Amino acid sequence: MATVFSQYAWLVPAFPLAAFAILTALGRSLSRTGAWIATVASLASFVYSVMIAAERLAKNAEDYIGGFAWLRAGSVNLTAGYEVTNLTALMLVVVTLVALLVNLYSLGYMKDDERISTFFSYVALFTASMLGLVLADNLMILYVCWELVGVCSFLLIGFWYRKPEARAAAKKAFIVTRIGDLGLLIAILLLFWYMPGHALDFASLHNVFYAQSGIISTSITTLIALLIFLGAVGKSGQFPLHVWLPDAMEGPTPISALIHAATMVAAGVFLVVRTFDIFAAAPAALDTVAVVGAFTAIFAATIGLAQNDIKRILAYSTVSQLGYMMLAVGAGSTTSAMFHLFTHAFFKALLFLGAGSVIHAVHTQDIREMGGLGSRMKITAWTFGIGALALSGIPPFSGFWSKDAVLTAALDDNPWLFAVGVVAAFLTALYMARLFFLVFAGKPRGDAGAHARAKESPAVMTAPLIVLAALAVVAGFVQTPFSGWLGSWLTGGAEEEHASGLAIVASVAASLLGLYLGWLIYSKGAVRRDAVSSRFPRLVRLAERKYYIDELYDALFVKSLRGLGKALSAFDDVVVDGAVRLAGRSALALGRLNTRLQNGQIQTYGLAALVAAVVLVLAIAGRRFW
Amino acid sequence: MNFNIDFTGEFFAFFLLAVCAIVGAVLAINFEKVVHTTLSLAFTFVSLAGLYVLLEAEFVAFVQVLLYVGAVTILMIFGIMMTKHQGEGKEPGRPLLEALAAIGCLCLFGILFYAIRSAGFPAPAADLPEDNTLSIGKLLYSAYAIPFELVSVLLTVAFIGAVALAKREEEDS
Amino acid sequence: MLGSYLTLAAVLFCIGLYGVLVKRNAIIVLLSIELMLNAVNLNLIAFSKYGVVPSLTGQVFSLFTMTVAAAEAAVGIAVLIALYRNRATVNVDEYDELRR
Repeated sequence: MATVFSQYAWLVPAFPLAAFAILTALGRSLSRTGAWIATVASLASFVYSVMIAAERLAKNAEDYIGGFAWLRAGSVNLTAGYEVTNLTALMLVVVTLVALLVNLYSLGYMKDDERISTFFSYVALFTASMLGLVLADNLMILYVCWELVGVCSFLLIGFWYRKPEARAAAKKAFIVTRIGDLGLLIAILLLFWYMPGHALDFASLHNVFYAQSGIISTSITTLIALLIFLGAVGKSGQFPLHVWLPDAMEGPTPISALIHAATMVAAGVFLVVRTFDIFAAAPAALDTVAVVGAFTAIFAATIGLAQNDIKRILAYSTVSQLGYMMLAVGAGSTTSAMFHLFTHAFFKALLFLGAGSVIHAVHTQDIREMGGLGSRMKITAWTFGIGALALSGIPPFSGFWSKDAVLTAALDDNPWLFAVGVVAAFLTALYMARLFFLVFAGKPRGDAGAHARAKESPAVMTAPLIVLAALAVVAGFVQTPFSGWLGSWLTGGAEEEHASGLAIVASVAASLLGLYLGWLIYSKGAVRRDAVSSRFPRLVRLAERKYYIDELYDALFVKSLRGLGKALSAFDDVVVDGAVRLAGRSALALGRLNTRLQNGQIQTYGLAALVAAVVLVLAIAGRRFW
Repeated sequence: MNFNIDFTGEFFAFFLLAVCAIVGAVLAINFEKVVHTTLSLAFTFVSLAGLYVLLEAEFVAFVQVLLYVGAVTILMIFGIMMTKHQGEGKEPGRPLLEALAAIGCLCLFGILFYAIRSAGFPAPAADLPEDNTLSIGKLLYSAYAIPFELVSVLLTVAFIGAVALAKREEEDS
Repeated sequence: MLGSYLTLAAVLFCIGLYGVLVKRNAIIVLLSIELMLNAVNLNLIAFSKYGVVPSLTGQVFSLFTMTVAAAEAAVGIAVLIALYRNRATVNVDEYDELRR
């Protein structure tokens, strides 16, 4: 099977990159046209990605690696290349599809923003970087794109930079992910150091860590794996670096859907899957991944239960679901991780876009001020409901299949991890039920006028919702316990999917229980809402305040660093600036002296000449004696 | 250092005239009124003329009296008369400038004195011609004819220049 | 004997120099310059008699010096009077045009 389309896979990121260049160069003069250019570019990327994927669907498609030598220094050979495998093809389709839908949606959502072309240029740059990250054939290129998506995330979170919260959130996101990026960078440097031939491409990594394991000692491998995982933790918002992701919701909602739900935050999972050979060679690191993932899943779910901001609930849900993916990777099942990433991208993007539609209509993000919107916004309500069911893991929606795959993998690895996963699934269903019923069911609360004016969003916004809703329903069927098609496609048939009755029953039971309880509390009112909060006020308060993680970091790192900064600044003020001032003042004093000498009076000049002559004579005469 | 001084008549005359010259100069610096300074300096010039006579330069001594004591001093007195000199010596002193100038001058004198004392001049080989004025006249019109003429031109230029300077300002005002 | 004359000349020169540097009155400054020139003349004439080769050249030279000094004094006074008309002062420390 020839690889016709794969050879030109670099075209996929090239389209949005070109759109970015055009939008940046022509800037404001384009305004609305610029948005269309970006959308058309993302459509082109999507179409091409689908063609690549279709090509790869044929049996036994060869992996294609292309590129050029980027840097030659002695024995070191760095290439800038791209690699097309089934995994990257899958990611290409997911990223370009979500990017296309978000572009379309933004045409409506950002219609009235005066910096719309800037917005679309950022989105285009992000799409290009994300696709480059996916296509990269070595860690160097991946790291470059990794940083680029980080920058785009920063720019887009802070897009409404006149809001101080947005500025703070952008800074926070950048700094917190930077901690993870540093880990990744160190990991890359270590690999560069230890790898035979300084190779950094994934093929060589596979050879060294999979085929000929033992070249690099286990301790170094574990260290490298943990550092790579640190990068993934930063990017994917895993505990303890999850703090930036909820704050990132200050950005425009389409951005939350694209970057902070579907694509960029999944890059961490993708990275771990891509370098899975390293993790497989270091069991300790793999266990760490599983434990951190499981903990994040349940930890973020409890916080999500107590939040009141619609986007923040979804953000914590994202953190929780990313924890699921990490759990799956840690349990050794890259397939189920990618499967969950795949389905999650659709239903979480759907939920965010639906939330954006709601915010667009009522101009508030507080779910306590919503309610009863289901009758006014039918399409949004239906699609949001489908997304919520998919996220909760109700069969036959896509989330059920992927979550089931994750839980099955966890059960194989460790019963405790499985138990945590089931509890997290229950919590997920509960907070999704709370969110859905508070927003769409019941009677309107809050500002009555705003509710009366609330109406369905325009077609350009609802169309992506419908597409995503359809995908959220059917995407799960690519991998069911009965036919492990995705797994065999991704891994070349090595992994046989096996059904686990316990996992299915437990996850469905937990989800249904969560939904039922949510319905009882928030819709029917059978259980009083403050039943828990009145009994355990501290516990609820703890979850509301996000376990005081932000405050802890503030006290632990921010304050101490600020103190260090102040000390350094004082040192700078007193010592460094003092030296500078001393130099300046002495020059000034010399200048003043000279000014006094240059008083225009001939006598002063004469005196100076006399003194100089005397000194000269003394100096010349003095030389004779020395 | 060896001050091998012969207490001859010439030495006494020199000593007397030297004291007169120095006293005149010091007084000139110390007087507060300009006229006094001028007169005191005239006294110094006369003493110097006496020293020239002592040095067997009668013609130069004569010219000294004529030119300095006569012309220059009178010129200065005219200058004094044409400008106002009220409030003399009432301005605040300039201690730094004065101190530095004094130190500089003393250092210079020290250097010169040291140089003079350590030079060790040999005794003169011959005497000067007897008829001083005649010899100078002959020299001026033979060996130094061109410089002599140039100096006369210079004097004329200075004369015209001085007149022009003073006159033009008068017209402006 | 030569040393004594030279020392006297040095003394007069230094006094003249001090006067030039310190005195405020422009006329005294001019007079001090004349004093310095006289000190030089004394040197020349002393060398003319007590030098290694006694010669009248020194005396002729001092004659030229006097002539130039006279010219200088004349021009100096003329400049002074012109300045006085402009600035109404003969104080040297108020003549600070060089600063501009």
